[in-house]
Amino acid sequence: MTSDVKNPYASKPTAIRRWEKSFFWVFRVATYVVLLCGALIFGDIFIKGSRTVFRAEFPFVNVPFLTQSPETLNIFEYQGKKREMGATEFRAFREKEETAAKAEGRPAPEIKLIDNIAYSAGGIFPCIVGTVLLIVGSMTIALVLGVASAIFLSEYARQGPVVRMIRLAILNLAGVPSIVFGLFGFGMFVIFFGWNTSLMAGWFTLAFMVLPVVITASEESLKSVPRGFREGSLALGATKWQTIQKSVLPYALPGILTSSILGIARVAGETAPIMFTAAYVMSDKLPWQVAKVSDFFFQGVMALPYHIYVVSSKIPQNEYTERVQYGTAFVFLFIVALIAMASIVLRNKLRSRYKW
Amino acid sequence: MSNPTATNPPAFAIIKNRTRFFGLSMDECIQAFFGGNALIAVVVLGLITLFLFREGYDFFNQNHHNVTVYRRAGLEYVDIIRQKDTDHAALSRYLSDIRLRTLNHLLKEQHLPLATANAQLAAYDDFSANFADAFDPVRGLLSELTETCTAIKEQFTVAENKKTERDQLLAAGKSAAAAQVVINDIDFKVALQPVIGRLPEYKESIHTVAERITAALSTAPALPTPELQKRLERFKQLARDHVDQFAETIRQMEQWDYSKPVSFGAAFTGFIFGREWLTASFWQDWYGILPLFIGSLMVSIIALLIAVPLGVGAAIYVNQIATPVEQRLIKPAIEFISAIPSVVLGFFGIAVLGTLLRAVSQTPWLSWVPGFPMSERLNGLTAGCLLAFLSIPTIFTLAEDAINNVPRSFKEASFALGANRLQTILKIIVPAGLSGIISAILLGFGRVMGETMVVLLCAGNRIAIPDFTAGLGVVTQPVHTMTGIIAQEMGEVANGSIHYRALFMVGIVLFFLSLAINYVAQVIVRRYKISIG
Repeated sequence: MTSDVKNPYASKPTAIRRWEKSFFWVFRVATYVVLLCGALIFGDIFIKGSRTVFRAEFPFVNVPFLTQSPETLNIFEYQGKKREMGATEFRAFREKEETAAKAEGRPAPEIKLIDNIAYSAGGIFPCIVGTVLLIVGSMTIALVLGVASAIFLSEYARQGPVVRMIRLAILNLAGVPSIVFGLFGFGMFVIFFGWNTSLMAGWFTLAFMVLPVVITASEESLKSVPRGFREGSLALGATKWQTIQKSVLPYALPGILTSSILGIARVAGETAPIMFTAAYVMSDKLPWQVAKVSDFFFQGVMALPYHIYVVSSKIPQNEYTERVQYGTAFVFLFIVALIAMASIVLRNKLRSRYKW
Repeated sequence: MSNPTATNPPAFAIIKNRTRFFGLSMDECIQAFFGGNALIAVVVLGLITLFLFREGYDFFNQNHHNVTVYRRAGLEYVDIIRQKDTDHAALSRYLSDIRLRTLNHLLKEQHLPLATANAQLAAYDDFSANFADAFDPVRGLLSELTETCTAIKEQFTVAENKKTERDQLLAAGKSAAAAQVVINDIDFKVALQPVIGRLPEYKESIHTVAERITAALSTAPALPTPELQKRLERFKQLARDHVDQFAETIRQMEQWDYSKPVSFGAAFTGFIFGREWLTASFWQDWYGILPLFIGSLMVSIIALLIAVPLGVGAAIYVNQIATPVEQRLIKPAIEFISAIPSVVLGFFGIAVLGTLLRAVSQTPWLSWVPGFPMSERLNGLTAGCLLAFLSIPTIFTLAEDAINNVPRSFKEASFALGANRLQTILKIIVPAGLSGIISAILLGFGRVMGETMVVLLCAGNRIAIPDFTAGLGVVTQPVHTMTGIIAQEMGEVANGSIHYRALFMVGIVLFFLSLAINYVAQVIVRRYKISIG
């Protein structure tokens, strides 16, 4: 393996080859630039966000951040020291100081308020709850409608003008901007149906938005079930519905669910459609603290994506607000990434499991 | 067993469930159920159209009314005068621009100290001040007329509101209360008399203005370089044109008639070609979509300029050049990028990218780049970069599909003819998959156009047509977009107001734009698809 022995069959570095090599490098660089940008964005949010979400000591997770409601952050000067506290804590602190001072008969200590910034203290628990509720509700609606229409398209439909129209509608629906869905949801559910800003309005708006994704994914899974399964079942005398129920759906269901998870990631990530249909900037009560059961469906909720929008546009950028901004973005990205990752991993697994 | 009676049928006999609903068997019912569900996509698309129009259609009526009031109350008349004032102010800005250039020249080329340079410009400053003040005689009149017309409009609005109140009371059957509503109807002809009556005064003042401008122009000092002198000559020309237009203005004002009907087309063109989106103003609200549309378009084009080379390049790389290991890793990774929510990207733009880009743009050796250094942290470029990143997965996935669908035999034939891999890729595979790639780019464009959160957070939200005289530097100006304006203003407007309807109209434009982009993409795929052979 000495370097002076030349391989007589090695290709010679001609100008064309150099040209080819350098061109390939251009493509390679393009690809890795994209990946690098992705890594940078993820890295930035994960690193800065994990400072909020994780703790060095037990229990390693910032529990209050995940279980409390957002509060106003008070920054004040007390005994020459600058301190910051959430609104509730601050009130308790001031009261304690005042009663202590009264008991000792000295004048109340001076608490000089320097600044207060909305949403920057406390946690994001109501937002997490709201997001989960929105996802669960809208996906249930979307799955029912989507799977049913996919069954029709792949099992019952025959080529014809109606089916062509349906396919065209699905294709076009997929391209409609999310803000237009928001406007539509506002016009139809909030105004026309009089549901106001509510979970129901948000559910339907989001469900209609992911419908094309769910239908396309379900149809593909149904189509991938071999014809023989259906023919065998029909030959044994089963009806069409029995065939679908017993020998098509069970094999298509895992595929339907995994592909629909991508739809879930999209639902979770959208802000524009819920801005005027379901999201509140701030709500004091948690969704289950309602007087009547029906109120549950007709209440607005806080949601993570909308909260990120609020904390990144309505309050200033400084060292006090960074904590909640990055923390929220981290938690949200974590949830969405988890869903997306699950879908990708599951899909790869399924591909290797079902081989017919 | 051997003797089955008639009342006791054999156990093996098939008992078919013949339950029927509305004459349909069970299976047909199930089919109908699924079929009904399948129609949901069509129904939703129809509902979107229906509800957008339901909320938006009245916009043109209201805008027509809006423009009519603008004329009746004499605001249009006053705006003829105001236009001249604005022109004059623009010319003054032109003069200050020349001064800045001259000062730079004196400081940098002739190396004069600041005090000396300023002293040298004293004559110029006098000239410039004289010019700027030349319009003063009209300004007093203008502000008085503005007040009068605002009052007329206000009075009219109050009367309108009272009428609505009375109608509501009448509709509710409270005729006694309705009779008590006092309506001060306004007679525009009488009300406008003090406005139109001041035309002679205006003529006199504008004559003085013209004289003063001419006088000022004659005192223009000479500037040090031919280039600057040329600019000054250009200014003089513009100023003379400005003066020449005074006569035209007077003619317009003489011919102006408050009672001239406003054509309905004006309400329509005012929206489609309106250059101003001005809301909640004390003077006159304008709902012109042009600045928003241009903003959307500009941001999208920036995004595509970045995303297309990267996305298509990555697709070619992954499909044709990459090793299998790379393929397995890169494809899911890029798909994973598409899961990043846009609001998180927008936040990243505010927190990191905007500041970073501005810091980079301020490094001295980059000052040759058009638009650098940027004055705003959030602008078209910041939003464009993030949108590019957002659309790369879409473009990548679809373009990769398109390349993947090119028949293998094409590639093999190319190799067999002695072409190398690069030649095969550039001359065979990419052209063969071009229809798919173009439709991928179009769908990416649709995605970028319809994106809301990134542009709302990062585009700078300044409602104005970007200043294209800045050349390529226009990309670093803050803009507002169609999606952004809906998201920003929808929460603040009263239901049913003209502003509310205008936002729905913007939504309608967006909706049909997205349908059109989708349609073109489909047509391209269908028409230019190469048959596998």
